[in-house]
This record gives sequence, C-alpha cells and structure tokens, in this order.
Amino acid sequence: MLSRDAEHLYWLARYIERAENTGRLINVNVEMMLDYPIDDSLGWEPILEAMDSKKDYLNNHKYYEESNVIHYLSRERNNPNSIASCLHNASYNSEFIKDDLPRSAVEELNNIEMNFLKEMTASVSKRKRAKNIYEVISSSQRFFGIISDNFSRGYAFEFLRLGRFVERADMITRIIDSICTTEKKEGTIDLSTLEWVNLLKTLSAHQAFRKVSKGEIEKDSVINFLFKDDSFPRSIYRCLTIIHKSFLNLPKNNDALVFIQKFLTNLNSARIGKYDNTKIHSFVDLTQKKISSIDQIIQKSYFNN
Amino acid sequence: MKKNSLINYLNKGSSYDEFFGDSLKIRKHAQKAINFLSPLSLDDLQDINSATISAIQSMGITFRVYQDESKTNDNRVWPLDFIPRLIKKDEWKLVEKGLIQRVKALNLFIEDCYNKKKFLNEFSIDESLVINTPAYKSYCKNIKLKHNVWSHICGSDLIKGEDGDFYVLEDNLRVPSGVSYMLENRMVMKRVLPELFNKYGVNPVDDYPSKLYETLASVSFSKSKHPEIVLLTPGIYNSAYFEHSYLAQQMGIDLVEGSDLEVGKDSYVYKKTIEGLKRVDVIYRRIDDDFLDPEVGNPDSTIGVRGLLKSWSQKKVAIINAPGCGIADDKAVYAYVPQMIDFYLEEKPILKNIQTYFMNNKEHREFVEKNIHSMVIKPVAESGGYGIVIGKDLKPKEVDPVFRKIRNNPRNFVAQPYISLSTSPTFSEGKIEPRHLDLRPFILSGSKNYVTVGGLTRVALKKGSSIVNSSQGGGSKDTWIID
Repeated sequence: MLSRDAEHLYWLARYIERAENTGRLINVNVEMMLDYPIDDSLGWEPILEAMDSKKDYLNNHKYYEESNVIHYLSRERNNPNSIASCLHNASYNSEFIKDDLPRSAVEELNNIEMNFLKEMTASVSKRKRAKNIYEVISSSQRFFGIISDNFSRGYAFEFLRLGRFVERADMITRIIDSICTTEKKEGTIDLSTLEWVNLLKTLSAHQAFRKVSKGEIEKDSVINFLFKDDSFPRSIYRCLTIIHKSFLNLPKNNDALVFIQKFLTNLNSARIGKYDNTKIHSFVDLTQKKISSIDQIIQKSYFNN
Repeated sequence: MKKNSLINYLNKGSSYDEFFGDSLKIRKHAQKAINFLSPLSLDDLQDINSATISAIQSMGITFRVYQDESKTNDNRVWPLDFIPRLIKKDEWKLVEKGLIQRVKALNLFIEDCYNKKKFLNEFSIDESLVINTPAYKSYCKNIKLKHNVWSHICGSDLIKGEDGDFYVLEDNLRVPSGVSYMLENRMVMKRVLPELFNKYGVNPVDDYPSKLYETLASVSFSKSKHPEIVLLTPGIYNSAYFEHSYLAQQMGIDLVEGSDLEVGKDSYVYKKTIEGLKRVDVIYRRIDDDFLDPEVGNPDSTIGVRGLLKSWSQKKVAIINAPGCGIADDKAVYAYVPQMIDFYLEEKPILKNIQTYFMNNKEHREFVEKNIHSMVIKPVAESGGYGIVIGKDLKPKEVDPVFRKIRNNPRNFVAQPYISLSTSPTFSEGKIEPRHLDLRPFILSGSKNYVTVGGLTRVALKKGSSIVNSSQGGGSKDTWIID
C-alpha cells in the first residue's frame, strides 16, 4: 500500500471521529447547562480549553456565550477543529482514496458534510441544532459501521482503525481533563456527581459504567473506568488494545508494539482512582504525550519514507 | 411511416443523419430504436431522462471544468443522452482495421523522427514541421522502444461526413482522456434502458481495462511476470482525475502522485509504500511531457519526479505514452498520415483523411483565402476545440484580421474544408431532435493492438452547434456496435 494512501485513510478516520466527539461534547454540555440555574457561560470555558482552542476563541470573542461557543465549535471554518472543518478535511482526504472504500461509505460521507452545512445555519433553533449534531454522530457511526461490515480486512482497514482509535484515546483524555481543570480553578468545592455523570454520557459510557459499578457515581470509580476498563471501547485501555491489535496486522510494527505494551502496563499499575485533581491532570498530560508518541511512530514507520 | 410527434426532424439540413435517410426514411438498423421511442409520451421520455441523471449521480460520475483550488461544487454531473448512437458491426470492423493501420504508421513515424529521419528526407519536409517544435524532445534522440511503439494509447477523433463515411479529424497521441466515460455510459444505459438492449445485440465494451493492463505490462523492461505498474496523476484537481482513479481501480494498480515516487541511486524508480520502497516497472502517466521531470522539463513542476527521464532513457522504467510522442500530434503532421501509411506499411489508407492546407504554403493560403466560407482554420497545436475559426460564421469585416494573424505566424495554422458533422436523434429541451456528434475510439498498441468497441460519442447539445467538448456544453451518448 502506498504511504500516501495510508496517510489519507488514517486522517480520514481521525477527522470523522473528531467531528463525532466534538458533537458529543457540545450536546452533552448543552444539556448539562440546563441543570445549572445560574450563568451558563462559565461551563464552556473548560471545553474550549480541553480542545486547545481557548486562545484562538478569545482572539475574536470576549465572553463565553453559549451560542458563540457552539458556533465556534460546530460551524466556524477558521477553527480547524470545528465539526465543519473536520468534515471538510475528512472529505478532502477521502477524495484521494474514494475508490478504495465501499461506495456506500463514501456516499455516507458526502451526505454528512452536505446535510450538516445545509441545516446548520446561523439562525437555526436550539432544538434543530441539537438534532443536526446528533445526525453527525450517527452518520459517523454509520460510516464506521459500513467499514466494519463491508470492508475486507487488510492494510486499509487497519489504517482507518488506527486513526479512529488514536483520535478517540486522545479525545477521552481531553474530556477528562476538562473536568479536572474546572475544579482546579474553583479550588475548594468538590466536583458534583452531575459532572461525572455528564462525562460518562459524553462518552456514551453511562450504561456501561452502570453495569460494572453500582451505587453512587464517584470520581475514583469513573476515572478508573475510563482509564482502565478493558472491555468498554471508549476507555483508554481498550482503545490502546485495539491499536495494538491493528499494529499486529501491519509490517514494521516492532517499535509500536513495544511502546504500547509498556504503555498498557504503566496504565494498569497506576492507582489513578486515588489521585487528587492536580495529579490526575498531570497524569492526563503524560497520557496525552504518549498517545501523540503513537501518532509519531505511525508517521515515522509508514508515512515518511 | 409511423413517427413519434416528439421526434422533430423537420430541418435535417445537409448533414448525414444516422437514424433517418433522405425524405426521413428510417434507416434499417435504426428501426428498432425508433419503434421503441415512438410510442413514448413526453412524460415517459422525461422519466427515462431523470432516471439517467440519478443513476449518474449515484454512481458519482463527474467531470471538473476548471482546475480550481476551491473545491466546492466544481465537480459537474456527467451529461449523457439516453438515446444510443448506433453503428453497424461490419462498418465498425473496417474502422477498427483503419485505426490500427493508422496508429502503426504514426508510431513508426515518431521513432523515425528521433532516429534516421527517413520519412522527412524522402518527402523533403521542412524541419519546422517536426524538429523545431516544442513537442520535439531532444532527449528522445536515438531511442528505440519496445514494439516500436511510442503512443501506446491513442484517442482518434472521428466524424461522419455528409457522405456517411468516417473521416479522421485528429489523432490524440499524448494523454487522451474520455475512456472511463465510455465505460460508465454503458453501465448507466444498462440500468436505464434494459428493454432496448434486449432488442439489439450490443457488443460489450468492458474488456478495455484488462486490455489496457495487458498493453502496459507488455512494454515492461523487467523480466517479472507481474510487473509493478502505477498510474501517475497530477492530483485531485486535474480535470480528468475521475478517470485516473477509475482506471487505476479497474486495473487494480496504485494511483500515484509525483511525490509518491522517487528515482534511486541505481536509477530505478521506486514507490513509497508502508513497507518501504518498492520498484516500479511501468508508469502510465497522465501528466504532460514538460511536467514529468523538473530536471529536464519545467523546473517548477511539483507533480513530476526528479530524474525520471534519465531512468526512462536507460530503459529502467517504461513510461506510457512515451515522452516526446507529441510530435505526431500536430494538425500539420496529420496531413501526411496517408503518405506515412504508404511509406512505412506499403498499404493503402483505409480511413479517410481530410484535405489539409498549409498556411505557410502561399498557393494553399491563397486558395483558402478565396474559399474562406467553406473552410475551417485550425491552430496546429491546440486541442479541445479552442482557437478554431469556422469560415462560414465569419462576418465580412472579420476575415481580414484572421488572415493577418495567420500571415504573422503561418506555420501555426492549417485549413480544412468545412465538413458538417453527422447528426443523431437526441433528447434535448423536451424534444427529440438532431444533434451533431463525433466519436473518440481508443487504440491500444503494445505487443498486440486493440481498438475499443465503439468509443466515446460526444454530442453538441445546443441546436446547430458543432462543439462537442464537455467543457463547452457538449454531452455524450453510449455507442452501440450492433450485429
């Protein structure tokens, strides 16, 4: 397989997954804000921070009004991580490899971008807005559904899978971080259960979590679950196992396999549940760095030669 | 004679119509098609038309008009008229033979020009015709190629004149495009008009990709039974990108850009894969000569591969079509094709050439000036229908400026008698009316020769127009070679 094709496949999957995750983050946060009786703008700052977009956002805005933030995260083309930009980049990457993908998957892709841009006008109502974002989420799931159902296992499949799960692992760390940093600022107050429930919801993890952990939802069990659960596909541990599996099917995989093996061992032995928020924050930082190392290994082994 | 009131054939003019003869007598081979179309109402026709459009849309058949950096909606839906163009098989068999003969002679001519120049000497042809042109590449001098073939894929444009005979209008020997649309048109028609298919024994077209693959493999210098073949594209913004990606996929070969290839220290060409560098034996390039290699051609080319031409001249990689083959792709060289066939093959030309007048020949020019209203003036090195002047459309005061331009650079122009293109019934603006058409078959040359079964029929959708290019409002038809 051509290195360039592999790279396009990898980024195609990353951008679709990123669009989906951004959509989840927006929708869950909107719902959570409805439970807050007071100023709803405060809740959006950590989201922007988690996405590394706060500085860029403040270049053009003074306050974190919900409608502005949502516009910025969903439609703003000058924001390289907005849903619209992600979809655009996804379809750009797909242009090069269209003929390698199942036709129905490509059609799904064309439809996501077209429909989202058409419906998501500046004057769209809140209700419609949420619906459009859900549509992106389910389109992304349909896309990957077609891939896993209708696509031969081979290099192309593995690069899509790598892209998807590297992106997802990265996003999980960002979402966890968004809650930890909030607390750091407010200092003394302990995080409310509400936020942890929301965190789980953003990752569609609420149900899965409930199956393994009964009773009150507490920080340490949530954090443990999201980092270390070995069966839920939106835990970091699980993402890494899937990435590991993909590498097993690729050539020149030695560096990657050794690195991930070590990553998994460290993750397993860390007693994250006991950490305070500052420590969680630095652990998240470390995890993010390691995930980006995986990305670099992929680039080095397969794309740059 | 039973005729659908929708078929508006009142004004047939002098053109040869492929369905109707004199006094609108239905030609025998068109009878079944007419029988099928006649009982249909306007609604039926509109239904078939929308089914055609939606089949094309869902199959994603598009073409790009401009090389545009903003990639929003500049991909247009491919225009296809659902009424097929019919050609009888015995007629086509002869055209096929004529095309193979013609391309053989042209290939021998190209090799001759880069070697002994026998033809040029024999006919005392001025060097300005071939050697002193931008298409001539000095790095091709003294090179001989496998099977003596330089243009492995040729797209010749044919028209049917008033007499109902095929004429060759021009030969596109460099990087002809359009074949994917021929293949896709057939796929669409099978979905849309299966009933009509059943009435005719339509000869299949879909073995083209495998014949193309065979041709590409047959010129490889490597001993390997499965040579590594790639298709080199300028990229997604190229107007023919759809075709590049389609053909690569149909042949199961990699679609590469210049940056995916590199020439190694050993002068072999390699492609960059996830497993490392892998040697490439044959490059089907869809990039113009001057952009192939920044070391030799355009130094700013970012779509080419550094060192590629050196590798080619050392026979370490085969490039298809060969660089430098454009010397025969010139409307002035065209005039000599009948002599080439005689000179190299000692045969009589099977296909008709159109009488061509050289504007750098004083007698020719004066003749053309006198008869300008029945002439067409063509720039020798343009393609795509650009720069053509049709004499009968000129207003009196426009004639002088045209000839002033010609006299400034006479070598750049030729003239030919105006030939009215044949017509065939076409669904346009809610009616079935005659529209002008041409035909582009593709001729493959390698260890064997092959001609597509029919070709891409292009049709001028505007009433009375003869411009068939899709970038200028032309459409297409499925071409049926029928028993």
